[in-house]
Amino acid sequence: MKQLSPLVRDWRKNRWVYLMMVPVAAYFILFKYIPMGYLAMSFYDFKLLRGFSGSKFVGLKHYVNFFSSSSFPTLLVNTVVFNFWAIIVQSLAPIVLALLLNEVRKPGLKKAMQTISFLPYFVSTVVIVSMLNNFLSPSTGMLNNLRKSMGLETVYYLGLPQYFRGVNYITGVWQMMGWNSVVYISALTAVDQEMYEAAMVDGASRLQRLWHITVPSIRMTIAIMLTLQVGNLFAANVEKVLLLQNDLNLSVSELLPTFVYKQGLVNGKYSYATAAGLFTSVVSCLLVVLANWGAKKISSSEMGVF
Amino acid sequence: MKKEGVQRKPVSRDDRIFDAVVLTVLFLLMLCFILPFMNIISLSISDQYAIMRGDVHFLPKGFNLASYEKLLHTNVVLHSYGNTIFIAATGCVLSLLMTALAAYPLVFAQFRLQKLYSIFIMFTMWFSGGMVPTYIVMSRYGLVDNMWVLILNSLISAYHVLVLKSFYASIPQSLVESAKIDGANDFRILFQIVIPLSKAALATIALWVVVLHWNDYLNALVYMRSTENYTLQLIMREMVLSSEVSSMFDVANLDRSAISDQLKNAVVVFVMAPMILIYPFFQKYFVKGVMVGAVKG
Repeated sequence: MKQLSPLVRDWRKNRWVYLMMVPVAAYFILFKYIPMGYLAMSFYDFKLLRGFSGSKFVGLKHYVNFFSSSSFPTLLVNTVVFNFWAIIVQSLAPIVLALLLNEVRKPGLKKAMQTISFLPYFVSTVVIVSMLNNFLSPSTGMLNNLRKSMGLETVYYLGLPQYFRGVNYITGVWQMMGWNSVVYISALTAVDQEMYEAAMVDGASRLQRLWHITVPSIRMTIAIMLTLQVGNLFAANVEKVLLLQNDLNLSVSELLPTFVYKQGLVNGKYSYATAAGLFTSVVSCLLVVLANWGAKKISSSEMGVF
Repeated sequence: MKKEGVQRKPVSRDDRIFDAVVLTVLFLLMLCFILPFMNIISLSISDQYAIMRGDVHFLPKGFNLASYEKLLHTNVVLHSYGNTIFIAATGCVLSLLMTALAAYPLVFAQFRLQKLYSIFIMFTMWFSGGMVPTYIVMSRYGLVDNMWVLILNSLISAYHVLVLKSFYASIPQSLVESAKIDGANDFRILFQIVIPLSKAALATIALWVVVLHWNDYLNALVYMRSTENYTLQLIMREMVLSSEVSSMFDVANLDRSAISDQLKNAVVVFVMAPMILIYPFFQKYFVKGVMVGAVKG
């Protein structure tokens, strides 16, 4: 009895807390951890109706097939190149917006502009693609009308592989710029005002103050946010890529996540797609861990911003 | 800010140029954010012939609301609107409840399994079963083509738990301690003290969940089969982007040629309007929420 008493005391004190955890734990097990267990499908020739016991264990067959398939190198290159530039472009844009908004001296105007910048964040991918269709349409689109009026031929932007990435990056910047600038705007409000006053006494211009005080004082935030983005090198906005994908641009638009979706849920090759998916999530997970480790290093290396 | 006013007097010419450049660039950026919306709204109310000629830019040419009237009489659209409202509203209430429950033990208790419980939740942020295994499990639960799958799949997000946990941590522990001494159990403390004090964080999460459900396309595409379970984004894709003739149009009594550009754009406006109209009211909450999420880094 005496040995049990810490456990019993813990239960007496926390029984309501334990009770509270029951539905939460049940949810995570049923909807998150059991699907993780089903990743084992990739080692079977999984049959939906028969389950694991009725399916044949095939070891690494699907992995061998996936890594040796002719599409694997293309998928890998497409995914990494697509995301690399997406990360660069989409990380820098919010910083520029935050720095610009920081220079607006009327708080009301600043807040109104910030509200407007959030606008695109609240529309769905389908809406964005509809807007693109309107804007880039070869027959009635504004961009092609402009080209026609300048005597240039019309271009089918959404069908040409060389425009696929650009269209994605521009819409990505447009949609996320305002939202992602919030972090930097908050970091900017914490900058020591006395530094600006000292610089003014020394006769520094606004541009000099921006470059020598404002930018350096948020460089930790910038470094951390950029580092965290490394975790996204294997992820992608599947929705948007799928909606902008067509037979004409498939050579650049087929990425690992869209490949998994199509093989698994359109073609029904569950095990093969799970093997490809598991590869993608393991690499993603490692990158995220690495990115977090890097961000921690950065924030502890100097007097942290956070 | 006050200081700035005092210093305002000796504004140099350079400073004025600087201000002008900043404001011009920002003004152009704001136009980039707003003009696509003006374009789509104009297209939805302009004269059909002006649209076909490519004459409609950012202001309407002609004015008729025929497409909106047609939408209000198109049952598939109204039905999917109802579906989406059901999913967003139910999902929001249940997500808030579950997230509030999930975060409580992380902050207001000391128990043996606390560390394990925390890892158990946070691990799902870094790793998941992925699309195909999740689909297989949902089909085993009989949830394919069932609207509940959209609610249940995103019922608790580890990220939301994290945001709420940071907010809970700012509530004075003494309030909870004194309630415990008075003999209140943890459920009472949660519902009568913690939740009423967490309205700002819960409002942020509510907005996130509603927007997530309202704008979700991929999950609906994966799980919904029959037209009667279609959500707004699916219907909108069929009407606006699909190039194939879909069976849906027979159900809707709309033949393909009747889906004019005007009607397409009216659908888009009709679908995006609610989110665009509500977010400014939540702005002061979610700006804080985004910060809490980022700080955890």
